[in-house]
Amino acid sequence: MPSGHIGLTLPQNRCSLLRAEKNEGADAVDCEVGVGTSKKIRPTSANSNALKLSCELLRVFISEAVQRAAAIAEAEGVSKIEATHLERILPQLLMDF
Amino acid sequence: MEGGHGTDADREDEDSESEILRDRFRLSTISIAEAEAKKNGMDISEPIVACIADLAFKYAEQLAKDLELFAQHAGRKSVNMEDVILSAHRNEHLAASLRSFSNDLKAKEPQSEKKRKKVSKKEDKASTSAVHIPDL
Repeated sequence: MPSGHIGLTLPQNRCSLLRAEKNEGADAVDCEVGVGTSKKIRPTSANSNALKLSCELLRVFISEAVQRAAAIAEAEGVSKIEATHLERILPQLLMDF
Repeated sequence: MEGGHGTDADREDEDSESEILRDRFRLSTISIAEAEAKKNGMDISEPIVACIADLAFKYAEQLAKDLELFAQHAGRKSVNMEDVILSAHRNEHLAASLRSFSNDLKAKEPQSEKKRKKVSKKEDKASTSAVHIPDL
């Protein structure tokens, strides 16, 4: 386990990934500024509510992607979501998030 | 990676760890996507689910980076809920939905409310973005 910046065990698995990624981001900052100076930049952490909220955000992202693609598929009278449906909603999805 | 803590074994551990996390993330994403498709009475093709999973992963990476930058910009070492809400500023509905979710979370912990009010005053000064977040 990474050096426990956030010692939480939330049920959502995605939260553990967020923890790791925040560590990664912080390491990059370390390299740019820290070579030569002995400045210790502690990696960024997140409070537990922020983590839960981020999980919600990610959940909504996935949910929106599927819902919007489903709407397109439905309009076509098809019952399976395929690549073309996803393609069509992608630009607006990425702009909204 | 510079910094002197990169023995090969360490790097391998990090890699396999990030692989495991990536897989866990993928599994969570797949289950959310399939449940949502079902809710809409639709089937969803497998490669598309995988595609959405990869997309969500990339989004999560960007999100993490943004949140770190926001917190640092506000002079903090820790990301808080305001940062997350700020990251959703591009879509009003999304921001509003996150805000109400965050209010629910706050309501569940009575103790830290006094602290939070002090901090949010500092944040209002520090965050110079164009979007004004109303004081909660």
